[in-house]
Amino acid sequence: MGPATLGGRSIFTGPKTNLILGLAITVFALALVFVWIPLDTDTGLVEKVRRQVTIGDSLAPTVAGLFLLIGGGLLMLFERNAPDQRELAISSLGFIGVLVALIALSLLVMRFTGPALVAVVNMAFDSSLEYRLLRDSVPWKYAGYFIGGTVLLTGMISLVEGRVGRRTVLIAVAAVIVLIAIYDLPFDDLLLPPNGDV
Amino acid sequence: MDTLDYIVLGIAAVFQGPELFSLFGLPVSVTLVMIVFGFLSGIVVGATPGLAGPVAMAIALPILISTFGYTPDALLPVMGFLIGVMKGATVGGAVPAILFNTPGTPDAFMTTLDGYPMTRKGQARKALRVAHFSSVSGDTFSDVVLIVCAPFLALLVEGYLDLPEKTALLILSLSFIAAVIGGSPAKGLISVGLGLLAVFIGTGEDFYPRLSFGTEELSRGFPIATAILGILIVSAVFKELEELWREKRASGVIAPVAETGDQRLRFADIRALFPYIARSSVIGTAIGALPGIGSTLAATLGYTVGRSRYEKTKTDGDTEFGKGAPEGVAATEAANSSVSGANLIPVLSLGIPGNAAAVFLILAAESIGGFNPGPSVFRFTSDTVNPELVIAFGLFTSMFIANALNWTVGGLFMRSMGVMIRVPKQILLPIVLLLTLTAIYVQETRMVAIWFTLGFGVVGYFMRSVGISPLPFVIAFILGGKLEETARQAFAATGGDPFFLFNHPIALVFMVLSAAVIVFTTRKSREPG
Repeated sequence: MGPATLGGRSIFTGPKTNLILGLAITVFALALVFVWIPLDTDTGLVEKVRRQVTIGDSLAPTVAGLFLLIGGGLLMLFERNAPDQRELAISSLGFIGVLVALIALSLLVMRFTGPALVAVVNMAFDSSLEYRLLRDSVPWKYAGYFIGGTVLLTGMISLVEGRVGRRTVLIAVAAVIVLIAIYDLPFDDLLLPPNGDV
Repeated sequence: MDTLDYIVLGIAAVFQGPELFSLFGLPVSVTLVMIVFGFLSGIVVGATPGLAGPVAMAIALPILISTFGYTPDALLPVMGFLIGVMKGATVGGAVPAILFNTPGTPDAFMTTLDGYPMTRKGQARKALRVAHFSSVSGDTFSDVVLIVCAPFLALLVEGYLDLPEKTALLILSLSFIAAVIGGSPAKGLISVGLGLLAVFIGTGEDFYPRLSFGTEELSRGFPIATAILGILIVSAVFKELEELWREKRASGVIAPVAETGDQRLRFADIRALFPYIARSSVIGTAIGALPGIGSTLAATLGYTVGRSRYEKTKTDGDTEFGKGAPEGVAATEAANSSVSGANLIPVLSLGIPGNAAAVFLILAAESIGGFNPGPSVFRFTSDTVNPELVIAFGLFTSMFIANALNWTVGGLFMRSMGVMIRVPKQILLPIVLLLTLTAIYVQETRMVAIWFTLGFGVVGYFMRSVGISPLPFVIAFILGGKLEETARQAFAATGGDPFFLFNHPIALVFMVLSAAVIVFTTRKSREPG
C-alpha cells in the first residue's frame, strides 16, 4: 500500500533506495560510534569511580549507534530488494528546501522586527528605547510575532497555491490575530516569540 | 485504604474537584468540563482532513498547563481534556472517510472501503451511525479491559521484575516497536536508533554534556516537546503540504448524492453487526495492549477477519465487502477504536507509550509532575493514600465519562461535522505549523527551541519520504532516558556485572525475545507477497 514513487525525477533509481539508505545509515553509525562519541564525550563505556565500576556517558549513545548499525545492515542485506521502496524526487527536495528557507526567513523576521522597529524609532525621535525593556508592552510585544507570523503564513499558503493574493494576506493577518488572542490575551505569564529571550 | 476506597476517591477527584460553576445547585467540576470540551474538540479535529488528535493535544497542552499550573491538581483537568480529545478524534476520524473518501488518519483508510460506497448509495447517515455505534462499543469494551488489566499487570511487574529485568523489558519494547510499526524492522530500528541518539545528546552524568560539540545550545539537550512535535506534527505538515503542492488538484469536486432508504440504525441492524463489532473489539484490544502496535494494524486485521466471516455467512443479494457493506464499516471502526483504551495498559502499568495519544498523556504527566506512569502507580497502600493511584482511578473515571458522552451526544455532534471538509488544507496546515511553533515557544521561551522543532520536522519529513515511521523515534526518545537510568541502577545493583542482562532468567528471556522479534519480522518481510 502507499505510493512507491513521489513522481518527478528521482535521486535513487527505483529499488536502490533501501540500499543507499542502509549504506548511509551504516556509515553514519560507524562515524558516531568511532569518531563522534569518543571525541565528544568525556567518560567511556564504563568508568571506575572510587573503586566502583559505573556505566559511563558513552554507553547509551553507543547503544543508539548499534540500533542504527543493525538497522542499516538489515536494510542493505535483507531489504535491499523490497518491493515497495519509495523514491525521493529531486523536486521534493526543491520544495522542502524552499519551504524551510521560507520558514527560517519568517522566523528571522519574527526575531528581529521588534528590535529593528525600536532602532528606527530611536533614530527618528532621537530616543533611547530598549526592546528588551519594552518586550512585554503593547504594541512592541506583538510586532515581531505579527509581522513574522504573517510572512510565514502568507509565504507558505502562496507557495502551495502557486500565487500570492490579497485574500491570502488577509487570511494570514486574521489567523495571526486569532493566535495572539489564544496565547497572549488570556495569560499574563506567557510570552510570544521572540520575547522570552531577546 | 482498600481497592474500593481508591475507586471512590478517584471518582470523587473527578466530580468533586475544583468547581467551575454550578448547574441547578449541583457543582460542576472543572475536570468534567475539560473532558466535555476535549471530547467535542476531538470530534472537530478528527473530522477535519489533515488533522488528527495529536495536533489538538500539541496545541492545547501549553495553554492547559499555563491555565492550570504545575500542581498535582492540574493533572486530572489536563489529562481529562487529552482523554476527551483522544476519544473524540477516533469517532470524528470516520466522518471524512465515510462522506468524502478522504481518510484523515491511516486508521480510517479501511473505513473508506465500505463507508464511502455507502455514501454513494445514499446511505451516508446510516454509515455514520454504524461507524459511531461500532466505534463506541469497541472503545467501551477496551476501557473495561484496561481497568481490569492495568493494575494486575503493574502488580505483576513490581512483584517479579527487578532492575535487570526492567532494563531488558525496555529493550524488548523498543525492538518490538521497531519490528512492528511501519512494516520494515530495519527501518524501525533506524527510527529507534535516531530517537535514542537524539535524547542522549546533551544529557548524561558527566560534567561535560555529551555529544554537544561544546555548544551552549545543545548542552541542555533537546526539550521533549521539540522532538515530539517536530517529528510527529511539523514533519506531517511538511509532507501534506508537499503532496498538496504536487497535486495542485485536478480537483475532485464532490457531487452531492441524494439520500435514499432508511437512515436509522435499527435493532435488527445492531444484531447483525454485533458479531463483527465483538470480534473486532477483541482484536483491537489485544493489539492495543501490546506497546507500539497501532490502530492501523487493528483496523486492517479487524476488517480482514470480518470479511472472511462475511464471505461464509452472507446470502445472495447481500452487499459485498468493499462495495458498501455496513459490516465492513463496523468491523473497522470497532477494531481501531478499541485500541485506544487498551493502549493505556502499557502506559499506566509500565510507563511505555504505545501510540501518539499515549505519548501526549506521558508528556502532560512529565510537564506537570506528581504522576509518573509506571508500576509504582498501582501500589495499593493500606495505611497511607497513594495519590498517583487516586489519579489513575480518576483517569479511568474520565474515560468512562468520555464514553458516556460518546454514547449520548457523540453521534449527533459527529454527524454535523461533515462541514469541516470545506476547510482548505493549504490554509489550515500552515496555521497548524505556526500554532505548534508558538506552543513550543510559550513552553520553552527560547528561540532555539523553535529551530530544534524545525530541524526535527525536516528529519521527520525525510524519514517519512523514505518510508521510515516517525513513531518509533518518538517512543525511543521518551524511553531513552529511562532505559539509561534503569541500566545504570541495574549495573550498580549487580555489583558491576557486565552481563546483568543475560544472567537473570527473565531478563535473558526478554533479550532473546528482542532478537527473535527482529529476526522473525525480517524473515517475514522477505517472503514474497
